[in-house]
Amino acid sequence: MAGPRYFISRKHALAWAMGAVLGWTAPVWAQGDEPWKAEIEALRREIRQAAEGKEVDSRFHLAGYASVDYVDPQTGNSSFTGVTFNPIFHYSYKDWLLLDAEIGTQLSSEGETETSLEYMTANLVLNDSMILVAGRFLSPIGMFRRNIHPSWVNKLPSAPIGFDHGQAVPLADVGLQLTGGIALGATRANYAIYTANGPMLELNAAGDEIEEIGTEGQGSDMNDDKVIGGRVGWLPLPRLEVGVSFATGKASGEGALGETGNRDYDVVDVDFSWQVAGFDLRGEYTKTELGESPAAGIDPAEKEWTAWYTQAAYRLPGTNWEAVLRYGGYEPPTGVETRQWTPGINYLFAAHVIAKLAYEFNDTDGVEDDDRLLLQIAYGF
Amino acid sequence: MKTRISSLAPTALGVGALLVTVLAPQALAEQGTPPAGDPARGAKVWADNCSRCHNMRDPREFTDGQWQVIVTHMRLRGGFTGQDARDILAFLQASN
Repeated sequence: MAGPRYFISRKHALAWAMGAVLGWTAPVWAQGDEPWKAEIEALRREIRQAAEGKEVDSRFHLAGYASVDYVDPQTGNSSFTGVTFNPIFHYSYKDWLLLDAEIGTQLSSEGETETSLEYMTANLVLNDSMILVAGRFLSPIGMFRRNIHPSWVNKLPSAPIGFDHGQAVPLADVGLQLTGGIALGATRANYAIYTANGPMLELNAAGDEIEEIGTEGQGSDMNDDKVIGGRVGWLPLPRLEVGVSFATGKASGEGALGETGNRDYDVVDVDFSWQVAGFDLRGEYTKTELGESPAAGIDPAEKEWTAWYTQAAYRLPGTNWEAVLRYGGYEPPTGVETRQWTPGINYLFAAHVIAKLAYEFNDTDGVEDDDRLLLQIAYGF
Repeated sequence: MKTRISSLAPTALGVGALLVTVLAPQALAEQGTPPAGDPARGAKVWADNCSRCHNMRDPREFTDGQWQVIVTHMRLRGGFTGQDARDILAFLQASN
């Protein structure tokens, strides 16, 4: 007698097999489905972004910096101040055009928002050693104004004395500049030569004395006599740079100052920076001269502004702490010289997020000391 | 003398313009496709130069495309040669 026959149709066998497979796999998918899907989607997105970045000719990048200061002067009220936000817009086309613009946004002491166009240049990369710069550019005179002044770059909460607006160093100008780097065997050099509108003389509130030379970058030429200038930097060692700068031209002003004729305007500057044994050392000296007025008029005498500083910074090994010490001096045409010591300590939350605490000791001839405690939070992006 | 130097500005501008228009295209033509960046050399140029002004940024902070724009900007600020810039870019893009 034949034994019992177990008949399973193909349909049933398939259903059984599928059920077994699903029964075995379902718990696995149930546990890992979502993370895997998310990871695959993230990878797809990354691949898409990478492909986009490589396939386009036009690129846009937003950079910039922001900071908030707290200042407690020896005389006067302490304040939260210096609230600044400076976005920098970069647009490049292939590898030979860069548009570069910085908008300065600052909160005034009255609580109003002040904006300014710090610079805006069209930069044409001509070859490996030449870039043509057109527009309003940061003055290539010296090192501080062009490269060091952004709050997340400057290792102290303030600019060196004499290196701020209306003091000894030119800030910006409007014109054409040719700049680049040159390989010189084992050493390297860089240069910038420019011609631009030049500065504008500005009177004090009483209108009887030239108070400063405005160098924010005038959008017109006051005297149809362009300023020419430039800087040459040499790096005899990889982390040592010495630079020499100059500018020469004519300066004049509006209104009554315009009637006194064009006056000679000359700037000389030397700077250095050196990174050695964990230290960052730098310094700069600058002198701006204004010739005497060719015609009798307001404040006709020669004038001179000088400023200098040296600075040492040291990142404590294995920590986020950085110690800084700066010593500088400033002598405006009044002849009243100020010497300034500024020790400071920084904490780097990240390379571009820095808390700075410093104390300025200001010693001005014949004036009561006006020292200041400074605190700044700076962010670069 | 100062007046004389100052009055040379238009001449200097003209000479500069001549140099740019005559020499630059010639240099570009001779250059053709510029040599590719060398990441190994770029690492050294990056380490030696970027910290001369600011704290070093992590290569992973930005994408390849962003680094391309940033390096062009920094070439302008730091006075690098074109080859230096390409080497630095190759290093940053290989490291991010």
